Amino acid sequence: MSIQGKVPVSILTGFLGSGKTTLLNRILSGNHGKRIAVIENEFGAINIDHGLVINADEEVFEMSNGCLCCTVRGDLIRVLGNLIKRRDKFDYVLVETTGLADPGPVAQTFFMDDDIRREFVLDGIVTLVDAGHIDKQLGNSKEAEEQVAFADVILLNKTDLLSAADLDLLEGRIKGMNKMARVYRSRHADIPVERVLDLRAFDLDETLSRRPTFLEPEYPFEWSGIYELAAGTYTLSLGEGPDPSMSLVVLPADKTDEPGMFDLAERCVRLYAQDAEAVLDGEALGTETHLRLQLQEDGRKSFSLLLDSPARLALFAQHTAEEFDLRLLTEDGHAVPCQERLWVAQHEHDAEVTSVSIEMPGDADDTLMNSWLGTLLREQGEDIFRMKGFISIAGEPRRIVFQGVHMLFDAQADRPWGSEERKNQLVFIGRNLDEQAMRRGFEACLV
Amino acid sequence: MIPDSLFGRLREGWCTAVDEYPTALAWSHRGNMLLVADAGGGLTAVAARDGATVWRQSHGDSVMALAAHPQRAVVASAGQDGWVHIWDLASGNRECSLSVPEQWVEHLQWSPQGDYIAASSGRYCRVWTAAGDLVWTSTEHASTVSGIAWSPAGELLSACYGQVSIWQPPDSAPVQCLQWKGSLISLCLSPDGDIVACGSQDNSVHFWRRGSGKDSMMSGYSSKPLALAFDPSGSLLATGGSTAVTVWCFSAGGPEGTAPVELTIHTDLVTSLCFARRKERLLASGGRDGGVVLWSLDGSGEGAPVGAVALVDAVEGLAWRPDDRALAVIDAGGGVSTFRLRE
Repeated sequence: MSIQGKVPVSILTGFLGSGKTTLLNRILSGNHGKRIAVIENEFGAINIDHGLVINADEEVFEMSNGCLCCTVRGDLIRVLGNLIKRRDKFDYVLVETTGLADPGPVAQTFFMDDDIRREFVLDGIVTLVDAGHIDKQLGNSKEAEEQVAFADVILLNKTDLLSAADLDLLEGRIKGMNKMARVYRSRHADIPVERVLDLRAFDLDETLSRRPTFLEPEYPFEWSGIYELAAGTYTLSLGEGPDPSMSLVVLPADKTDEPGMFDLAERCVRLYAQDAEAVLDGEALGTETHLRLQLQEDGRKSFSLLLDSPARLALFAQHTAEEFDLRLLTEDGHAVPCQERLWVAQHEHDAEVTSVSIEMPGDADDTLMNSWLGTLLREQGEDIFRMKGFISIAGEPRRIVFQGVHMLFDAQADRPWGSEERKNQLVFIGRNLDEQAMRRGFEACLV
Repeated sequence: MIPDSLFGRLREGWCTAVDEYPTALAWSHRGNMLLVADAGGGLTAVAARDGATVWRQSHGDSVMALAAHPQRAVVASAGQDGWVHIWDLASGNRECSLSVPEQWVEHLQWSPQGDYIAASSGRYCRVWTAAGDLVWTSTEHASTVSGIAWSPAGELLSACYGQVSIWQPPDSAPVQCLQWKGSLISLCLSPDGDIVACGSQDNSVHFWRRGSGKDSMMSGYSSKPLALAFDPSGSLLATGGSTAVTVWCFSAGGPEGTAPVELTIHTDLVTSLCFARRKERLLASGGRDGGVVLWSLDGSGEGAPVGAVALVDAVEGLAWRPDDRALAVIDAGGGVSTFRLRE
C-alpha cells in the first residue's frame, strides 16, 4: 500500500519554555496552504480562531507482555481515530507533547496500532531546545536526552541567550548525541516551515534515496582560515579558552575553491592523525605538521610564524577562532583571513546518549546480518532509540535501506547500486552503546 | 457459501445518506424511527418505514455516541463539544442539555429502566436522572474511560487502562475492581451481568466472571478486538479483531481451554457485531470490506452465513430494530442502509 493518501503527522517535543507554542503559532499562521489539525497536550497554550485544536492528556499504555516497543500513547490512538472521521477538514496533523513526554511511545503508536498505521504516517520528530537551559537539562533529565535522541530536526532556540562560541559547543554536544538530526538555530522559533514539516523522515523511499549519504563527514578540526600574507614575521595570538591545549596545522593553500578546500581538509586530516609536536608560548610554528599549542598559562599566548616569501596559508584549528580569540598579528596590526570556514567536528562521545555510526565498504552476508541485528535489537533494543542506514547485501543488486525505533525495524530494497561503490552506512542513536563491539559485530557480517 | 442468492435472508430495504461521516446509530424504542449521528455534529431522524427524513438537528460538534431511551420516545446524543443533549423523538426538540467539563463525551447509556443516563468523558463517569439532574460523578479513573455498561441490577461498569470498575451510584467508591495490566479498549457485559468482557490493545480479549472472580485472557487475534457482542442467552461471545468473527462458547466449562469458532467470509477486519434480541443466535457482522453478513449459530457457536450484502464502503455500525425484523447499517461513505429479515 502506498503512503499516498495517509495523513502526515509531525511531533513537536521540547521542555516547557523551549518555544513550542511560538513555533506552533508560527506554523499555524504560516502561508503554506496546509490545513493543520493540532493535538495539544499542554493546556491553553495556543489560541487560534479556526482549525481543529484538540486537547488531550498524555496516556502511556504499557502492554501486559511488558514489551517496551508495544508501549503506545492511548490518547493519540483515541484522538487520531476520531479525527480521521473528519478527514475532509485537514490534511496535516501536529502533535504537541508536554516537556516530560517520552518520544518512544509516541513514535511507536504509528507503527504498532493498526488503525493509526492505516490512516496516518509519522512525518518527523521536531525537538525544540532552549539554548540557555538545555546544557543543564541534558545532564539531569532522561526526557530531555531522549527528546534530543529521537529528533529528526533539532531547533536550537533562544540563541540570543548564548555567545556564538557557547552555541558552537552546545551544537557539538547535541550532534554528538544525535548525528542523524539536522540542527537549526533560531531566536524566536523563526524557522521556515519547510524545515520542520514534510520531512518524511520515517519514509524509506524518501529519506535515504534523496540523500546518498545522510551524514556529513566529520573532521578533527572545527575552523579554518585562509590568509594572503606578504613576507615577514607574524604572531599567532590566542586568549584563554576552554581547553589547556589546542591542535593546529598550518599549510600552504594552493586552491581555495570548494573542491580545493576539501582536498586541503583531507590533507589536514592525515596530518592530524600524526603525533603532535608540542609548541610552548613564544615558540615558532612549523608548517605542514601537527602542532599542539600549549595554552595552560594565564593570559594571552603568542607563537611566531616566519615567512621568507609571500604565501597563501591555511590554518586548521581544532576549535573555532572565537573560542580562543585567535588572531594573526602583523608587525603593525592584524591580518584578516580572506576566507573562514567552520567544519563539522568529530564529537566526543562522553555522553550517556550517543550516536554510533558505522561506515564500511564491502558486502554483508544476509544471514549473518539478520542474526547480528536480531540479537542486537533483542538485547539492546530498549536502549536504541533510532536507527537508520543502508546496507550492501552480497548478491543483492539494490541497496537495502532500513530505519527503526527501539525494537521495531523496517527494511526494504532501494535503487540499484549500478556503478557506484558498494558500501554500508549504519547509524544508531541510543544509551550506553558500545561502539567498538557494534563495529566488530558488523564487520563480522562482511563477506 | 451463502445459500440461495447473495442476499439470502436479507432483503434490501431503503437507503439514504448523511453529509458527514456517520459515527453512531440507534433505533427508537418502538422501532419506528432510526437516528443517525455524524462527525459534523448532525443528528438525523428517519422514518423506519421508508427512510424519509423526519427531522434534522445539529448537536453542535461531532457526535460520538447515541442512546435511545428504552421506554420513552427520546434519544440522547453525546459530542466532542462536552454536551449531552436529550431530544424529543416526535418533534426533534431539545428536552434538556447536560454539560460536562472534560470536553469529549465518548460513551452514553440509559439505565435498564431508563431512570438514569450515564456518560463518560475523559477520566470520569457521570449519572443524571432522565430529567437532567446530575446525581453522581465517579472518582478519577487511571485513564480515559473506554467503555461503560449498566448491569441488570443497576450497577454502572466502566473500563479504562488496567481496570474495570463497578460502581453502585450514589456510592463514591467502586464496589468491585477487576484488574488487568493492559489497555482495555471496549466493554461488553453478558445479559445476566455476570461476565465482563473487554477488548485489549494487545490484540486479546480479557474477561472476568463476577460470581467466581475468575478471569481469563483469550489471545491470538491479529488486530485489536474492538467489537464484542454477547448473544441473548449469554453463552456465546462474538468478537472482531481479525477478518474472522471469533466466537467463544461459555457453556460446558468453556471457553477456557477450548478453541474458538472462527467464522470466515469477510476479507478485511470485522468492525461491528450485533446479535438479534429475540431470534435464537442470529448474528450480524459488518467489516471494513463493506460486507454485512448474517450468521445463524448453534449452541456451541458453530454456524453458517444465511445472508450477506456487499456495500461499497467500510461498515461503521450495525443495529437490529427492537423487533429484530430489520437491520440498519451505517458506512464510512455516509450511507445508511436497511435490510429486512426474511423468515
